[in-house]
Amino acid sequence: MKKKVLAALLATSMVAASLVGCGNSGNEAGGASSADNSTAATDNSAAADNSTADSTADNSAAADNSTADSAAADNSAASSDDPVANLIAATTDTVKLTVWASEEDQTLTTQLLEDFKATYPDVTFDITLGSESESTAKDTILADVEAAADVFAFADDQINEMVQAGALQPVAATYTFDVASENVAGSVEAATINGTLYAYPMTADNGYFMFYDASVFSEEDVKSLDKMVEVAEAAGKKIAMDVSNGWYIYAFFQGAGYELTLNEDGSNNCTWNAAGATDVAQAIMDLYGTNVLVDMSDEEMATAIAEGTVVAAVNGTWRAETASDAWGENYSATKLPTFNVAGKECQMSSYSGYKLIGVNPYSANIGWSMLLAEFLTNESAQAARFEARGLGPSNVAAASSDAVQADPAIAALAAQAAYATPQRVGGNFWAPAETLGQILADGSAGSDLQSVLDTAVEGIMAPIE
Amino acid sequence: MKNKKKISGNYFKEFGTAIAKGDLGVKLSLLIMGAGYFARKQIINGLIMIALEAVFIIMCIFYAAPNLAKFGTLGTVQFEQVFDPLTLTSKVNDYDNSFLILLNSIIALFIIGAFILVYIANIKAVYRLQQQKEAGKHINTFREDIRAMLNEKFHITLLSLPCIGIILMNIIPILVLIAIAFTNYDQQHMPPSALFTWVGWKNFKQLFTNSTTLTFGYSFGKILIWTLEWAVLSTLTTFIGGILMAQFINNKKTKLPKMWRTLFMVAIAVPQFVTLLLVRNFFADSGIVNTICSNIGLTDFLKSVGLVSSNLTYIPFLTNPTWAKVMIVLINIWVGVPYQMLIATGVLMNIPVDQLESARIDGASSFQIFWKITMPYVLFITGPSLITDFVRNINNFNVIYLLTQDVYVTSDQLLANSNAKEVDLLVTWLFRLTNEYYDYKIASVIGIIVFIICAGFTLVTFTQTIKGSREEDFR
Amino acid sequence: MKKTVGFVVRHLVLTFLVVIWLVPILWLLVTSFSAYKGINTAHFFPEQWSLDNYKVLFLQPDSVVQYGAWFKNTLLIAIFTCIVSTSFVLMVSYAMSCLRFKGRKGLMSFGIVLNMFPGVLSMIAVYFVMKSLGLTNSHLGMIIVYSAGSGLGYLITKGFMDTISTSLREAAWLEGASEATIFFKIIIPLSQPIIVYTIINSFLVPWGDFVLAKLMLNSGIATDWTIAIGLFNMLGKSLINKYFSIFCAGGVIVSIPISALFVLMQKFYVEGVTGGSVKG
Repeated sequence: MKKKVLAALLATSMVAASLVGCGNSGNEAGGASSADNSTAATDNSAAADNSTADSTADNSAAADNSTADSAAADNSAASSDDPVANLIAATTDTVKLTVWASEEDQTLTTQLLEDFKATYPDVTFDITLGSESESTAKDTILADVEAAADVFAFADDQINEMVQAGALQPVAATYTFDVASENVAGSVEAATINGTLYAYPMTADNGYFMFYDASVFSEEDVKSLDKMVEVAEAAGKKIAMDVSNGWYIYAFFQGAGYELTLNEDGSNNCTWNAAGATDVAQAIMDLYGTNVLVDMSDEEMATAIAEGTVVAAVNGTWRAETASDAWGENYSATKLPTFNVAGKECQMSSYSGYKLIGVNPYSANIGWSMLLAEFLTNESAQAARFEARGLGPSNVAAASSDAVQADPAIAALAAQAAYATPQRVGGNFWAPAETLGQILADGSAGSDLQSVLDTAVEGIMAPIE
Repeated sequence: MKNKKKISGNYFKEFGTAIAKGDLGVKLSLLIMGAGYFARKQIINGLIMIALEAVFIIMCIFYAAPNLAKFGTLGTVQFEQVFDPLTLTSKVNDYDNSFLILLNSIIALFIIGAFILVYIANIKAVYRLQQQKEAGKHINTFREDIRAMLNEKFHITLLSLPCIGIILMNIIPILVLIAIAFTNYDQQHMPPSALFTWVGWKNFKQLFTNSTTLTFGYSFGKILIWTLEWAVLSTLTTFIGGILMAQFINNKKTKLPKMWRTLFMVAIAVPQFVTLLLVRNFFADSGIVNTICSNIGLTDFLKSVGLVSSNLTYIPFLTNPTWAKVMIVLINIWVGVPYQMLIATGVLMNIPVDQLESARIDGASSFQIFWKITMPYVLFITGPSLITDFVRNINNFNVIYLLTQDVYVTSDQLLANSNAKEVDLLVTWLFRLTNEYYDYKIASVIGIIVFIICAGFTLVTFTQTIKGSREEDFR
Repeated sequence: MKKTVGFVVRHLVLTFLVVIWLVPILWLLVTSFSAYKGINTAHFFPEQWSLDNYKVLFLQPDSVVQYGAWFKNTLLIAIFTCIVSTSFVLMVSYAMSCLRFKGRKGLMSFGIVLNMFPGVLSMIAVYFVMKSLGLTNSHLGMIIVYSAGSGLGYLITKGFMDTISTSLREAAWLEGASEATIFFKIIIPLSQPIIVYTIINSFLVPWGDFVLAKLMLNSGIATDWTIAIGLFNMLGKSLINKYFSIFCAGGVIVSIPISALFVLMQKFYVEGVTGGSVKG
């Protein structure tokens, strides 16, 4: 019996030892931050006041590049007026940062990171670049915010959920340029939640528009979806739009004047089942019923465009590239067409799309992360990004260059901008909307469209506790 | 039940006797765990016990106590951060992380539980030493104790490391999962930025009630039925397919059996996730198979028979509920049969030849031999593993996930309203709920139910094997 | 005459089945030699053949494809997982099969039930346990994740050991051998087929798992990944049209060591799987 005890104790002491080890380290961290806490608590109200004062100061004196300086003058606690100089002075150790950029952006980002290091020669950096697709960044980041990169790129559709999960550091002040005024208004709006700017706009080309083969369609044809269907049918070709996807089906309902908005608690408000909405559903069914307008996922579209079966598509710049390769000189792009709802032509709406750079609030080097985020989104970085990859800048100055203006996709997005809205929608929207699009497109919705819409809206508006 | 009570009664009775009749060393062991060993001059054992006790007390103070104190609320201090724009630094308060509190509390409870067991066992052990001493028996030296670990106590040596691994990787995560089912851990309450707390049976109720806005009950029923259908179908088809194929290849009339077998084996040499992702693209709506089917007119034929709805230009292999379910089962046959064939080959090779011969002499047809002799034999041998396969298939995440993720869109609106799909198994639904919607609370409830179902099936089957004396029969 | 017809039909059926089984594999193989990077949906065989995909895999790693590093990582993890898992399984099996101690049957039932618990469910908790031990984004962590719970999979091995005659052990006992000696000198050599079976199974785990690996190796740095994450990543929405044929090439390469293992160990494998129950 005694030996059993011995073995059991051997085993438990091993577990205990390993656990105590990690318990202790956790405690130390806790202890350290609680020490800070007492001071933080006393400063708390004052600091909060300060930061709001700063950010308003930023906004009013937007043209000034170092707006924080003026605010700094009020604060006697700071050793110097220049926050960046403060930061450099306070930085003694190597600054370790992790950056996530999309797979396609690796080469460019590597170059930009080198430039960043060269900008601050007095500081030793150890910057690791990882790859994480902008479209799925949320999934990885939210699984464990603390393990996520310090600075990361993501698409603006994820901003609600990221802010809600506390995964974004507010852009409380800017240092090298004024983010809010130097980027196009739409991009700043997309990065702002409840009046707080949470991210740095990086590109302004993540929305969708219509691109087409000019040898099939005339400029007049592409103004109306119904006309396009006619023309394509005559040519024996297809038009693709992924309507079984909440992102795209929004174009129809919003375009016809039915609303989808986000409530404060993360649930949605949706009027897609209001009087007359069945006409929109019917219009979608009729369009897809022709089998000329087809419901295709993005990947399938790529192949179909390359093979020449699809001659026009509603999609984004990432797919427009495929089309431009396939159609050559005939590649054209424009705003979304109108579509016919019970005899009335309605302009299709869209989600505007921006790629943003965010800073992790759990970063150990929050100051440097913010400076790096600014660096990766400043005018020259955005210009370089356009040059290297053809991505449309959100920076006003970078976007005004002739080369950018001449890009058909960017021009089309600009034309669509008047009908585009930033994406403000809660997580409960996607699955019901996807299914709604699917059954309307494949014609299995049946005849009682009202109840179909009612069910969809119930799912979309499902309460969140 | 009675028996169990008696055992636990004995357990504490022995403990009581040890305390009552123990001498000073034993009684002192209540306070200082090594004391009883020192009294018998087992210095090393005593030191180990003292060290263990010290480690445990330190653990309690610095690890267990702070976490368990918050276990009731799962934390009250929300993450707050104050950013100072002048120094570019941010101050973070000493916030609570509900998940870590939960996890650490469970680990701490586990350690405390283990310690209590060791503590009781320790008292009993030193009392036994006392008895041995009184009876004038030999008391082991430390070296003899160690040697015993390789001999009569060898099972302890063998089992301790694997057990630690299992506790860490299986038991603690399962306990955490069970605990989460009683909290409101979801996207609105995600640590570290937000706190979550206990909500009792609310999530269970939500899963079994049904309203138009909350369709979890509806989805759960549908998915449960398909999960069971799938488990039965996939297990039986691959099992029977494997035997038939093995039988077919092993037949004397088949030339070059080894070559045929190897050819089928090629299909399992490619890792499953590669083949499944490949096959998914193979059967995509605009994939290569659809191109071929459309070229040879199969698509039109199926349309005219009504198997494919007339407004489609392709065969919805993986996008229509019925087609997808059939395809998934077929693809699973493709993936699973070579493996089952391999096993069946082994079984068939060992089939008692005399029985087959005598049957043949009696004039039985090969078909009769197959059903009357081969099948019962194979079933007898592989029966238990069939149940294991069945349970594995209930949880067959890979096949379903890799074939339908991002491809399949449900056309059932009620399923969509709870983020489910017709082709989902309980595990894939649960995975989507956590991975895409961060709805950990409902996912945990589903997880518990899956576990109960699987455990039920397994226990019913294996208690016979374990309890019965069958394992001794073979020797 | 009838015999010949039967003979031909039999082999025709087999050929037909082999074709069904091998067509997707063939597609994998030919696509891996395609010059077109996306999914070719119009033709089964590539229009232009090329070795570029293999070149990218081994000679021109980019930010998406780090095949050499992945292969090395996976191999390393697989080897150690295999060693630890196999030892754990053997240890537990021997204890359950040959030793008699209090609570054995209870432990066995408990183990079987626990083993039925799907890993997907408790992934998040496993992740945070590993994180609090500081073992995320590390190969050691992956090895622990894959092998720590392996003791639960003792059932088949135990079945095999049950068939080893007790008289051998008794004879050793009489000669004064300890249980440890019996375990190492008698049982392990006799369990060769089942050991091979366990080795293959545990070796294959890291090559096929992408869910747990993706969660545990979340630094975003491609060189840290295993093959499964890397290949899975190539089929992401934004990459599939540029990397599909490279994915196929990667799939072909990864099957080579696995098939070699299977072919080499096929005999043992079959014996191992069925041995437990058959020998009785």
